[in-house]
Amino acid sequence: MHQHSSRDGSAHPARSGFRRLARYGALGISATVALALTACGPAIGSGEAPAESTKLQAPTDPSGEITIWDRSGDLFEVFDGVIEKFNEKYPDIVVNHEAVDIGAKLQNTLITATDVPDGVFLDDQLVPGYADSLWDLSDVLDPYLADIAQQKVDVNSINGGIFGVPWDLDPGLLFYNEAALTSAGIDATAIESYDDLLQAARDYKAFRPDAGPIHLEQSAFLGQLQLEMYASQLGTSITDENGELRIDSPEYEQILTFLDTVQKEGLGTRAEYLGPTDIATLDSGQQVFVPWAQWFSFGPQQLLPETLGDWRAMPLPAWEDGGARSGAMGGSSFIIPKDAAEPGLAWLFYEFLVFDPEGYAAVYGPNSIYPNGLNTSIPSYAPAADADKPLFGEVEAFGDQDFWKTAVEAGEQIPGGVPTPTWWGGAVDYLGNNIQKMLDGTMTPQEVISVSTEDIQTNLVDRQ
Amino acid sequence: MTAPSALGFRAVRRAPQQGPRWSLLRRRSAPYLFIAPFILIFALFSIYPLTFALRLSFTDWRGTGAATWVGLDNYAYLLGNPAFWASLANSGILWLLIIPAQVVIGLVAAVLLNNAKLRMRGFYRTAFIVPFVTPLVAIAQIWVVVFDQNYGPVNDILGAVGLPDIGWLTTSEWSKPTIALLFLWKTTGFAIIILLSGLQSIDTSVYEAAALDGASRARQLWSITVPLIRRTLMFLVVLQTLAVFQMFAEPYVVTQGGPYNSTTTAGLYLYNHITRADLGTGAANSFLLVIAVMVLSLVFVRLLRPKD
Repeated sequence: MHQHSSRDGSAHPARSGFRRLARYGALGISATVALALTACGPAIGSGEAPAESTKLQAPTDPSGEITIWDRSGDLFEVFDGVIEKFNEKYPDIVVNHEAVDIGAKLQNTLITATDVPDGVFLDDQLVPGYADSLWDLSDVLDPYLADIAQQKVDVNSINGGIFGVPWDLDPGLLFYNEAALTSAGIDATAIESYDDLLQAARDYKAFRPDAGPIHLEQSAFLGQLQLEMYASQLGTSITDENGELRIDSPEYEQILTFLDTVQKEGLGTRAEYLGPTDIATLDSGQQVFVPWAQWFSFGPQQLLPETLGDWRAMPLPAWEDGGARSGAMGGSSFIIPKDAAEPGLAWLFYEFLVFDPEGYAAVYGPNSIYPNGLNTSIPSYAPAADADKPLFGEVEAFGDQDFWKTAVEAGEQIPGGVPTPTWWGGAVDYLGNNIQKMLDGTMTPQEVISVSTEDIQTNLVDRQ
Repeated sequence: MTAPSALGFRAVRRAPQQGPRWSLLRRRSAPYLFIAPFILIFALFSIYPLTFALRLSFTDWRGTGAATWVGLDNYAYLLGNPAFWASLANSGILWLLIIPAQVVIGLVAAVLLNNAKLRMRGFYRTAFIVPFVTPLVAIAQIWVVVFDQNYGPVNDILGAVGLPDIGWLTTSEWSKPTIALLFLWKTTGFAIIILLSGLQSIDTSVYEAAALDGASRARQLWSITVPLIRRTLMFLVVLQTLAVFQMFAEPYVVTQGGPYNSTTTAGLYLYNHITRADLGTGAANSFLLVIAVMVLSLVFVRLLRPKD
């Protein structure tokens, strides 16, 4: 009877007590384990984190093993090919080169300090967000600083330290379809200002009414990135060096008014960068001007068979007489985490890649991935970016134009910059979207400036 | 025979008492010992992340350095932020576009596939499940091309019958239906499999009896099939509700949440906080989302639970 009732679940006082105790015990153990593990998380304090600046020094014994993270794809293959050259110079350093989804893995790795790589390839705009976890490279970079493009040094500089080894420079260029423009009697090389560009677009539109000569970016993210290229050309950016917003300025108004004019006069093709509409209109001669970073060169080389050889590149038009003819759009650097096991050896690897003639020639020169060399960016280190000593060869898609010289000379004109705020990507919800609304015709340039400024200040800047 | 020592005597005296008690203890503790590994793993991979995230949600931690305790600030910010509500609304609209259609299409397809007379059943079952196992990135790329406003085949077909081009992925009005269509296409095969398993648990004699009583196919579907698979339907709806509110990859790959955040789902909005290193707000967002999904799930469980 007793046994039966027990199976039915009716409580025997002693057993019931035991079970309750055991349950509470199990819960207690779980909670204790969980809470103990939770203590491994960040310390919660006043928020005044010690801003200790640890400056990396070059190693005295170049031997050991390093793990280097790069994002998968062509660049990974290019860097992979350089390791052999590196080992000719440093035979006692073993490089474990890993293709990693850096955006997904880096943050967690730095937080947990587990399996931290010795060096990581990272977009310039992301470097400031990780600065607390990185080595300050000021001392090791010091011998090279004078020869590195100022914009690259600036975007990697936070609170007096330099937290990335500046790698590539991505100058903005004006890509144009020379064959199409010539058939309309337009000499693109005569374009020196954005007013000239507008006039050339009007002339082409008159010649070919179905054209939308100038590219207008439809992706909110890339549209904002392109806006920052124009701003960089004018020596400004979304924030100043103190992190204060400066969208509400004559420079941004000038840029937005230009874009608005292109749209209102029907002089633009609004399409997502190298999406189906973009490719079709570029290859049909409807879209003939693309103000974009050097990496647009991929398009004419790989995606535009009908107009292969018709494209050329030139420096961007100037916003004012004597103004800079280029601005930066994108770019990457190499970072070395503080928790890296062999940070000094990682520095030697990057020093070879960026500053050693054999290293940068192996990266940008002809290789198994790019038989004619890597031509989607140029080095940010001046001795490597010598206009008269091309690292990559002439580009068939650009009619064998000296694309190296064009890109290097444009790169030399990029004004200095400031670090990108960590919330830059978040601003796309406001500034990036508002640019699109302006191109839709539902906002004016002034409204884009005022609404974006207020929203970014409230939702991003004030919440830092 | 020697006299027992004091110790031995006690041992001999205690043995009959301690034996059963020890055995009882072992017997009672056995289940807990068996589940102990699970409890440990559960604590490590479920309770720990949960408590960690809960703790984060009250801080302004950005992934590095010390975190500052901000109390309920992150929750207050989200609850007062139109973008948070818009992301929930986007997910809600997607739910309306997806779930009813998926249940109807899935049920009809499952009933057809359950018919023993249907030829090539294996082929159809495989065909329905293929989109579910195809990598989303590949499908998304096809979606981008097929639904391109100017050069996509969908608009070409519309144009051929005199209809205007539609900005499937470039206008706020059409972006949600386009994403919903992608989700439907990808996951309806899964819904069919779930419903099919429910259908196969129904005794065929029930249908035979109904047929003898003169019940039509439609009547059988409505009066026998649907009531008898209510539990399966409930499971499917709750599961897919979770999937829709956590939907991330589809808008991330196809529209990046645009245009104008019209496809920024609750899952994508949460992800955006994380990628911007606003981990505290992201954690708070995740708990608000859990509450919302839990409430919705309970509603569906209540509505769809079998009446008997």
